[in-house]
Amino acid sequence: MKKLSVLLVIVMLATALAACGSKVPEACESDPLGCAVIEKGETVKIGMAGPMLGDYAMFGKDISQGAMVAIDEVNAAGGLEGFNFELIAEDTGGSPEQGAAVASKFVTDETMVAIAGHIFSGESEAAMPIYEDAGFPMMSPSATNPPLTQMGSTVFNRLAFTDAVQAKFAAEMLKNDLGVSKLALVHDGSAYGQGLADEVQANFESMGGEVVAYEAVTPGEADYSATLAAIAAAGPEAVYYGGYAAEAIVMANQWAQAGLTGVTLFGCDGTFGVEFTQKTGANGIGSIAASLVPPDSDEKTAFDTAYQTKFGLAAGELSAFTWSAYDTAYTLMNAAMSVAFVDGDTLYIPRSAMVAAVRGTNYNGLTGAVVCDATGECNASGPSFYEVVSDGAGGSTWIPFTK
Amino acid sequence: METLKKLVPSDLNASKWVRMILGILVLALLVWRLVDVILIQRLYGPDTWARFAITGLIIGGMYALIAIGYTLVYGILLMINFAHGEVMMLGSFAGYFVFELLAFIPSPGPENPEQVLLNAFPVLSILVAFLVGMLVSALAGYFLEKIAYRPLRKAPRLVPLISAIGASIFLQNAAMLLFGPQRRTYLNPTLLDRGLGLEIPIAGNNVLVPYTGIFSFVLSILLMLGLYLLVQKTKLGRSMRAVAEDKGAAALMGINVDAVISRTFIISGILAGAAGVMWGVHNGLLNHYVGYIPGMKAFTAAVMGGIGNIPGAMLGGMTLGILESLGPAMLGIDFQLKDVIAFTILILVLIFRPSGLLGERLSEEKV
Repeated sequence: MKKLSVLLVIVMLATALAACGSKVPEACESDPLGCAVIEKGETVKIGMAGPMLGDYAMFGKDISQGAMVAIDEVNAAGGLEGFNFELIAEDTGGSPEQGAAVASKFVTDETMVAIAGHIFSGESEAAMPIYEDAGFPMMSPSATNPPLTQMGSTVFNRLAFTDAVQAKFAAEMLKNDLGVSKLALVHDGSAYGQGLADEVQANFESMGGEVVAYEAVTPGEADYSATLAAIAAAGPEAVYYGGYAAEAIVMANQWAQAGLTGVTLFGCDGTFGVEFTQKTGANGIGSIAASLVPPDSDEKTAFDTAYQTKFGLAAGELSAFTWSAYDTAYTLMNAAMSVAFVDGDTLYIPRSAMVAAVRGTNYNGLTGAVVCDATGECNASGPSFYEVVSDGAGGSTWIPFTK
Repeated sequence: METLKKLVPSDLNASKWVRMILGILVLALLVWRLVDVILIQRLYGPDTWARFAITGLIIGGMYALIAIGYTLVYGILLMINFAHGEVMMLGSFAGYFVFELLAFIPSPGPENPEQVLLNAFPVLSILVAFLVGMLVSALAGYFLEKIAYRPLRKAPRLVPLISAIGASIFLQNAAMLLFGPQRRTYLNPTLLDRGLGLEIPIAGNNVLVPYTGIFSFVLSILLMLGLYLLVQKTKLGRSMRAVAEDKGAAALMGINVDAVISRTFIISGILAGAAGVMWGVHNGLLNHYVGYIPGMKAFTAAVMGGIGNIPGAMLGGMTLGILESLGPAMLGIDFQLKDVIAFTILILVLIFRPSGLLGERLSEEKV
């Protein structure tokens, strides 16, 4: 036992001496958190933590796959000064305890520079202080809980838009783009749905709009026509719905019966999805909903093709976060490239500078402008809006909304 | 009735007073709200009231069909078949799968090469869906009685009731495991598209009465007429009435009591199956839980009309449907509270008229 500890001390001393012996770049010495050090032959690692197994595995899988597409693109283009990026995805099951455990493991890795995650809000919160101490910047594509950015963390950033952001954009669109002056609100009583409806109401009224009706529905029912008829009697120009697709479908199918023909059904990201158009058919035409899915662009088409060839399934099939994950990975890699320098054969990435670089992101991605504010909210473009149009065969389909 | 009288204390004065005061209070509240909403606030125009009433009539027809099932079984076995809502759910699923199957089989027409069987023969498709739905529900009712109730025929009255609740839970969960927990949407033939209907101009506005609603309402009326004829004019109906009146005497007269009970369950299953497919066609939404709330409402309707009384169940169903959709608007309360209105009505009926609007049992009227 004694021998072993003596040996240990010798080894530690040797390492310390070796470190003293090799020249530490000045930028790393001056950086209070030191540098990520990547020797020749190693990769620059980006960590990702989230549910990779279990009930929510599709989120972890999809987000890591979206990020991988971005990393492969950068590596194919030469990487960072000849060093390749690598994504290390670890399972947390979505739980805060596991999230903290994975974070503690990640911060011991000298070659890891940033975290694309965590995926859930709870685990992100648990991991935040650990990354804060080690100087690992985070960028979550999916953690939407509003307080996360209000905790004074310098490392936490997110590309996910919060419900408050969504509501603000929805109210602006209703008022300015659709020219609605009389709005009705319906929600499903959930924290999510009611929260959205309340935020939209507050925003809409502050812009000078009039809210003529505010109703709640019980989720799971098959008949909302009486509620809708009462709303119709108030004469709104549009109805905002905060809640999930199942109830929105029932409502859209009873729209005409309730006397709401010509009134826009305006849904949230819970409403958006193929399910809505499949189950409402022609009755859904004219409805609008917010979504994470970015509008069509050449970049999106390129991403979708790459995703399809790489993973054998269409982008968006597993979750709606995959495009955000792509932008997240790009943001982190861009930040690394902006602060990294090579000294000899070794790549150095000063950690404080890296944290500041991620917070200072200003880049145009697949999902729109990624500009981080002082608290780490980076989704500057808000949700995309989609509208339902006829598919020409008796059914309907979502297309990006055009003014 | 004897047992009921024993339960009520001999000193009836107190409860009489309580009832009267309660009645006056409820009435005063109702009148105040009605006057306020209809005459003073004038929240809704006649077209909106018409929409509420139409919704109520359509749903009321379905409640009535299911309520008849409760009433028939109660009339004969003096038990509440709490699994009746699940019988309806199974019929609803059967109709759903028929539509899905027919929409899967291509039937190219000269104009529309992508046409499917469902839209090539819409009337036939609807007929098949209803027949299969009724058949599945009839079988469900038949086996339900055979497995869950017949072995307990001689047991105290609470025992089959518990068995019924068990059967209800079992069927719900079996359906969830078989068909999955996700919510499905009925795929109607384009003929019965949920967005189409008759436009009736009321007070300057066009009120849309959906074809699915008209169809459901007419069909439920026809089925109720059919049932009335069956009970009043056929031999089976006569033996059903005889068994309801006195099982022992009926058996002595050469009536096969077990067979009559089985057929009663089959008939109530047929009506529930039709209601299930209607529910799907009109509302469009379907999962393993779809029968529970309509089942509870129909039970309320049956009690309201007088349990055991067939015209009572029909009246109760219609009344409940209309009150449920007009009620929140009339009282000026949240529309989410329509279930509260339905069950408050149940409580009020039980307080003021325990034997229902039309009296408790058909057979006692005859006595």
